[in-house]
Amino acid sequence: MADYDRRNGGARGGYNNNRKRRYRDDDELDRRPQRRRYEEPLHLKVRKQLLGVAESPLKRTDEEISSIAKLVVDNNDDEEIRRQYIDLSLQIVVEQPFKIPFVAAIIIVVNPQKPEVGQEMLTKAAKAIQEYLEAGDWREVKLVLRFLACLQGLLEEDGVFPLLEELFSRAVDLQTASSEDSLGLELVKIILLTIPYVMASSAIGFEERALALLDKTDIIASTPHALEALVNPYPGNDEGDSEEPQSTINLLQKQLQAEAAQSWQLACIPRPWNVTKEDDTTDASKKHALPEIDVPSPVAPGPRPMLPEIYFSVYADQDVETVPSTSDVASSILRDSLVDTINILDYNRNATAKFLIDLDCYFSAETFVKRATQFDKLRNVEEGRSTWKPEDVAVDAVFSQLLQLPMAEHKLVYYHSVLTEACKIAPAAIAPSLGRAIRWLYKNVDGMDLELVYRFMDWFSHHLSNFGFTWKWTEWVDDVQLPLVHPKKAFMMGALEKEIRLSFAARIRGTLPEPYQPLISEAKEKDTPDFKYNSDQTLYSEPAQEVLRRLRAKAPDTDLQTPFSTIEEIAGSLGVTDPLVPSTDAYVTAICFLGSKSLSHVLSQIERCKDRLLSIGAQSELARRQIITSVMDYWHEKPGIGVNVVDKLLNYTILTPISVVLWALNDQLGKGEGLVLSHVFEMVSSTVTKVTNRVRQIVVARNQPGLPGDQVTILDETLSKEREEMGKLFAVIENSLVGVAGGSVDDMAESTDQDLKGEAVLRGWGGRWLRVFRRKMAVEESWVQEMMSPTVQGIDASGMEMGVEQNGSGEAVLSEAGEELKEDDALDEIL
Amino acid sequence: MQTTVDRLDRPSAYYLGRNKKRKYGRDRDDDDIGRQRTPEEPEDPLKDAATLYVGNLSFYTTEEQIHELFAKCGEVKRLVMGLDRFHKTPCGFCFVEYYNHQDALDCMKYIGGTKLDERIIRTDLDPGFQEGRQYGRGKSGGQVRDEYRDEYDPGRGGYGRAIADERQKEEDEYGKGR
Repeated sequence: MADYDRRNGGARGGYNNNRKRRYRDDDELDRRPQRRRYEEPLHLKVRKQLLGVAESPLKRTDEEISSIAKLVVDNNDDEEIRRQYIDLSLQIVVEQPFKIPFVAAIIIVVNPQKPEVGQEMLTKAAKAIQEYLEAGDWREVKLVLRFLACLQGLLEEDGVFPLLEELFSRAVDLQTASSEDSLGLELVKIILLTIPYVMASSAIGFEERALALLDKTDIIASTPHALEALVNPYPGNDEGDSEEPQSTINLLQKQLQAEAAQSWQLACIPRPWNVTKEDDTTDASKKHALPEIDVPSPVAPGPRPMLPEIYFSVYADQDVETVPSTSDVASSILRDSLVDTINILDYNRNATAKFLIDLDCYFSAETFVKRATQFDKLRNVEEGRSTWKPEDVAVDAVFSQLLQLPMAEHKLVYYHSVLTEACKIAPAAIAPSLGRAIRWLYKNVDGMDLELVYRFMDWFSHHLSNFGFTWKWTEWVDDVQLPLVHPKKAFMMGALEKEIRLSFAARIRGTLPEPYQPLISEAKEKDTPDFKYNSDQTLYSEPAQEVLRRLRAKAPDTDLQTPFSTIEEIAGSLGVTDPLVPSTDAYVTAICFLGSKSLSHVLSQIERCKDRLLSIGAQSELARRQIITSVMDYWHEKPGIGVNVVDKLLNYTILTPISVVLWALNDQLGKGEGLVLSHVFEMVSSTVTKVTNRVRQIVVARNQPGLPGDQVTILDETLSKEREEMGKLFAVIENSLVGVAGGSVDDMAESTDQDLKGEAVLRGWGGRWLRVFRRKMAVEESWVQEMMSPTVQGIDASGMEMGVEQNGSGEAVLSEAGEELKEDDALDEIL
Repeated sequence: MQTTVDRLDRPSAYYLGRNKKRKYGRDRDDDDIGRQRTPEEPEDPLKDAATLYVGNLSFYTTEEQIHELFAKCGEVKRLVMGLDRFHKTPCGFCFVEYYNHQDALDCMKYIGGTKLDERIIRTDLDPGFQEGRQYGRGKSGGQVRDEYRDEYDPGRGGYGRAIADERQKEEDEYGKGR
C-alpha cells in the first residue's frame, strides 16, 4: 500500500479522498488511473505464488516455498485458501510436471506445523491416483506417484513402496499372460521412474527396498520387446551400418542399477526440501499413513500408445557431451519430464516453449552449463563439471517426439510450433542447437526410417518458412552433384519442393547459393502451365482444343461427345488398345487447365464434370489411372498441387485408393525411381491414411456406448468389408515394393547397363518403403483388434479417436493380450 | 475445469466482444464477461465449429499456400478466400473449413500466430461460413483495417486506402496550385 499512496498522493488530496469508484463517472475532472483500492484476496495470492513457483531464475526458490507455506499455515482456518492450495497443487502435479518436487517441498514445510493439511493433501492425492488408475490414465498415475514419492519423508513405514510392489505384481501378471504385452512394460516403466524420486526425497534408509525392487524389475525391463525392430528409427541401409535400438525401459533399468552402485546420487533431481529442512519433518508423530490405493486387477488398458519406446537423440555422437549420455540416469529423468511437459501442454505451445527455455530452473543447479553457452566454449568447461546445454536437452526431447514411431501423441505440427516458439523466445540459445540437430539428421538421412525422413523434411521446410527461409545451404553444396536417387539429394529436392509449396519458386530460389540454382527450374515459376494440346505437335490436338472450348463455354455434357468420339476414332485407327485413355487425357487436361487458377477453381470444374469422370472409372481401369497421369503431367512442375487434386478426386470416388497405389507403385515405378520422389510417397501415404482412417472411424462409431444392436450389425458388416479393402490395398503395396526391394522388377532384370550400384540404391528405396507400409499395416490391424477385443468395449474411446485425426496415421494401442499374429509375420519378414 | 495454463483454442476477445454486444445490447453490465452460461441461454455456436477465420494474410498468398499449411492440422474441406467487394481480388483473409471440430481447435493451437508467406497470421474460431461473408466490409471494398492503416504494408496494398486517397488528394491539389 505504501507504493500506492506515494504515487497517487499528490493528485488525490482533498475532495476526492475516499470516493468510491461508482461515483467517479459524475466527475469529469477526475483522470486518476483507475486503481483498485483493495488488496488481492489471500486465496488469489496463494494461487498466484503457487502457480509461479520455481519459474523465475531471479527468485530464490526456497524463499518462494517458505512464503507459500507460511501463507497456508497462517491461514489454515480459511477454508477457501486451503482448498485452493491443495487442489491447485494436485493440478500442477499433472499439468506442469517440472514443478512436482517444488510443490512437494511446500507441503513438507507445512506439515510439521499443520499436519492436518498434510493429511488432507495425501488423502486427495490418493483419491486422484485412484481415479487415474481406474481410467488407465498412466501418465497421470505416474505423475501423482512421483508427487507421493517426493513426499516419502511424510509417509509412515515404507511409504510408496507397497504401492510400487502392487503395480509390479500386475505387471508380472500381464507379462505372464502374453510375451508381447506392452502394458506391463508401461507399469514397470512407471515404477522405475518413481524410484529415483523416492531416493532423492527427504526420506532415508530405503536403499535396500529400492535395490530389491530393481532386482525384480530386471527380468521384465531387460528382455527386448518383440516389436522393437518395428519402431527402430535407424534401421540402417543395406550396407549394414544399422544401430541397435535402445528401448527406454531397458536403458532405465541399467541406469538405475548403476546409480544404486553409486549410492543414489541422482544429481540432477532438485531437492527443494533440503533447504528448508531444519525442524522435525522426520518426527514420527507428524507422519501419515499412505491412504489406501486399490490397483484394479486386471488393470485398465488405457487409451495410450503402447508400442515399445526407443530412446532417440540427435546429439548422440558429438565430441563434447551436450546432453547426458545414455549411461547416465539423468538422460531418462530429464527426458521423461520434458516429454510429459511437451505432450501435456499441447494446448499452449507458448507455455511449452517457455518451460523448455527455463528447463534449468527445475533441476539442480549444477545440472547444466549456463544458458546459450556456445558449443565451442564447452571445451573450456572445467574437468568434472557438466557440459550439458539446457537448450540441447530440451530440443532433443522435442525431436524425440516429432520423430517418434509409429506416431507421436499429437499432430506433428504441434512439435513444429513448439520449436518455432522456442526459437522466437530465445533465438541465440535455440537456433544453434537446431542447427546441429539438422546437420546430424541430414548426415544420417541415409539410414533413417523413411517415414521419419519425411517428417524431418516437413518440419525443416515448415520451420524455415517461419524464419525467412534462411539456412546455410553452402554446407551441403557438395551434395548437389549427387544423383537423384541418392537419399541426401532426394531429401534436398523434397525439402526445396516443400519450401516452394509454402512460398513460391522465385522466393526460394533467391535463398539458395549459385550451385543450387538449377534445382529450381524456370518452369516452376509459371502460374498456369500450358495446355499441351495447344501445340499442333501434340496428338489429338484439334479435338482436344474443342473439348477445352466446349468446357469453357460450359456446354452441356452431351456436347462433349463429338470431340471425344473424334479422339477415340483416331486412337482406334492408331491401334491404341483403350481409346478411352486418350480422350480421358484430353478431358482431364482441359479440366486442370481451366481450374489452374486455384484449388477452388479446379474443384468447381471437377464438380461440374463429376458424372462423366465417375463413368470413366466404371468403364475402364486404365482410363481411371489415366486421370491421375493427366493431373500429374499437367502439374508436373508443381506436383504438390497435383497430389492435392488426386486427393480430392479420391473423395469424389472418381479414383479408388487401389488405382492411386497402382498408378504410383506400378505404372510410374520404373526400376524404382518413382520411389525417390517425395510427392509419390505423400500420395501413397495419404491415400493409405484415408483408408485406415475410414476403418478407424467405423470402429469408433461401432463402439459408441448405447448403440442399438441392429446398427452394430450393420457397422460390423461395413467394417469387415472395409478391412478387407484395407488388406487388399496393403497387399498391392507389398507386392510392388517387394519387387523393387528384391530387385525383381522386370525392367530391372532386363537392364543391360548393369549399373549395380544404382540398382542397389533402388533396392534400398524399396526396402525403406516396405518397412513403412508394413509397419502401418501391423499398427492398423492391431489397433482394430485391440478395439474389437471385449476388454476395450465400452471404455472411453476419446484417446483412441485422437489417432483418427492424426495427420499420418492414428494412435496405436497394441493390446496387452491380443493375438497379434499379423505383427509377428510382418516382423519376421522385415528382420 | 480451468487449466493452470491458458488454452490457445478459445475464441478471441474480438469474437466474444462482438457476440456479447449482439446478445445483450448495451444496457447490461460489463462485469459478466467471464461468468458461467446459464442453462436457458442458447448453446455455444462454436461448440462444434470446424471453421476458422484466418486473418492478416498477404493479398498475394494463394489458396495453395494456405492449403499447404492448414492441411497440417487435418484434411481441409473447404477454403473460401476473402475478396475485395468491388474488385473480387484477395483482400487478406479467408475461411478454412475442416471436417472435424478437433482439427479446427488444433489449428488454433498449432497454426494461429505462426507465419504463412512470411506474415504472422491470426486464426479465430468461427461459427461457419455464410454466403456474403467472403467480401471485405471496408468502405472501399477491402477489410476495414485496410482503410485507415497508417503504416505501409507491402503485402496488403501499401497504406490504408482512406489514407492513401487522402495523400493522393493532397498531391493533386499541390500540383494544381503550382
